[in-house]
Amino acid sequence: MNIQTKTIAAPEIDIEKKSSKIRTEFFRRYFRVVHALFAVLILIQFLPDQLTTETYSSYAIWFAVGVEVFTLVLSALIKKPASLNLFVDIVAFIYGLLIAWTLATAKFNVLKAALFPPPGKVLWQFIGDYDKILTNIQSSIGIILQGYLLAIVVAIPLGLFLGWSARLGSAATYISKFLGAIPPIVYIPYGIALLPTFRSVSVFVIFLATFWPVLAGTMSGVMNVEKKTIDSAKVLNVGRFTMMFSVILPASLQQIFIGCNQGLTVSFVLLTSAEMIGAQSGLGYYIKNYSDFGDYTRTIVGLIVVGIVIVFISFIFNRIQKFLLRWKQ
Amino acid sequence: MSKIEINNLTVNYTEKKKSFTALKNVSFSIEEGEFVSVIGSSGCGKSTLLSILEGINSPTEGEILINGEPVTGTGSDRGVVFQHYSLFPWMTARKNVAFGIKQVNKTASRAERYQLADEFLQKVGLEQFKNKYPSQLSGGMQQRVAIARALAMDTDILLMDEPFGAIDAKNRTILQELLLELWENATPRKTVVFVTHDIDEAIFLSDKIVMMTANPGRVYREIKVPFDRPRNRIELVQTKEYNKFRNELLAMFYSDIVSKIGGEEVVL
Repeated sequence: MNIQTKTIAAPEIDIEKKSSKIRTEFFRRYFRVVHALFAVLILIQFLPDQLTTETYSSYAIWFAVGVEVFTLVLSALIKKPASLNLFVDIVAFIYGLLIAWTLATAKFNVLKAALFPPPGKVLWQFIGDYDKILTNIQSSIGIILQGYLLAIVVAIPLGLFLGWSARLGSAATYISKFLGAIPPIVYIPYGIALLPTFRSVSVFVIFLATFWPVLAGTMSGVMNVEKKTIDSAKVLNVGRFTMMFSVILPASLQQIFIGCNQGLTVSFVLLTSAEMIGAQSGLGYYIKNYSDFGDYTRTIVGLIVVGIVIVFISFIFNRIQKFLLRWKQ
Repeated sequence: MSKIEINNLTVNYTEKKKSFTALKNVSFSIEEGEFVSVIGSSGCGKSTLLSILEGINSPTEGEILINGEPVTGTGSDRGVVFQHYSLFPWMTARKNVAFGIKQVNKTASRAERYQLADEFLQKVGLEQFKNKYPSQLSGGMQQRVAIARALAMDTDILLMDEPFGAIDAKNRTILQELLLELWENATPRKTVVFVTHDIDEAIFLSDKIVMMTANPGRVYREIKVPFDRPRNRIELVQTKEYNKFRNELLAMFYSDIVSKIGGEEVVL
């Protein structure tokens, strides 16, 4: 008797457990503080404005709705709870910032209106300046890519060669350390004297800023390749070219990436600074130009765009790095 | 003419202004198709000897002849399996084997190389793991890949430097049997030089055992292994002959060590 009742009862409990599990899973996924913040952000848009100028709160509303829809779609799609939490936390931060920003500017006017435009106005300006921003992004990224890729293409083979011929390598290490220690920005005046256009000066400075760390990274990578790895290649009787590019290069790839990463970071700092000094285009120019005219809405637009561009490029860089080093655990 | 002739090999190392002799007047020869184990306690120079055979190091005096020609460097007539790091960690198992094939066979197309690689990975029982990176494989699996690569390169000579030294006892016996099976079934049989410090491994695998002694490293004895092939480990270890032979070898091994350190404490 006992056994029978058990066998009948068991699946019922199971179903109940399952459905309660699904319910808690559903709650965990869709009932979060972030959505409450969204509601608050929308509601405060309907408070009366304290500013005499237009606040474009409809832009803020549409932006928030867009982000919210995106968040809900991703909540349904992202499988791992940890990555969902990460994403939702970032969105919550954005909402929190927008709430504070809206209240401090448009709704209570506690910040100086001339210096702090409300978020809706920044979004409106962003959309209005879309074309101009895109051209400036293109100009900046074009210069970075040209200088950066040129430096990588020259520095990696040279580093492989210098690192490999060990005796040369030790002298080359000190030379590259000395030349690499000079902050590349101080080359700008000399570059201006040497080169015809602002663009070529920028490419030159970015080239130098990337060249030294990549060269140093490649050389130290090559010199730290384990002897056992080289021996296993030697006993396979590999040729010089194969040894260099199929063995030494992948074996030192991790250190090369450290140099590339450093070069990328410095390149951005340099380019945006250089653009603020003497350019007629680029993101640094956009920010500097409009802040000179007291147009702080566009200045903020520029700051946000620079942030987005750098995050985007670092993301792509990390993806490439992860892919090329996928054989490491 | 023997396949490999080692003539009066002497190797001196200088390290921090101190020189020491790793090998002194080492001479012996290896016939074509012979499986020879070099055995000895650590520091007897057996790995140094192998590195000269590989062509990575060169001797201070003496020479090694392969087919009558002196060894001057690495060559595509010799395949090598090390204890560690034989494989390139950035290549999959398949790519590692195909890379080895490419170095000895420049005319084979990419597809042919991969096909041959798959064939040999299957022989060592790793066809399902061919797209894994070495870091995703166990130590035993990595050595299987290394063996597959050395065999796929189809060199006359196979040099193995304690290839199973870092592998647990169970997998070690499995790998020994696999190696023996692959070697015995190949025609013509490859000439193998196998460095080990494991006496049972040496007896089970070899035709001849070269026992070395340390400080300086020299050949202590050359012993023919008197057991017929194909060998079956379980049957072999139960025979009286095997145990007698093994005890004799052990006695030699220990008497050498004891005489070296004056009959006091023996540390292996």
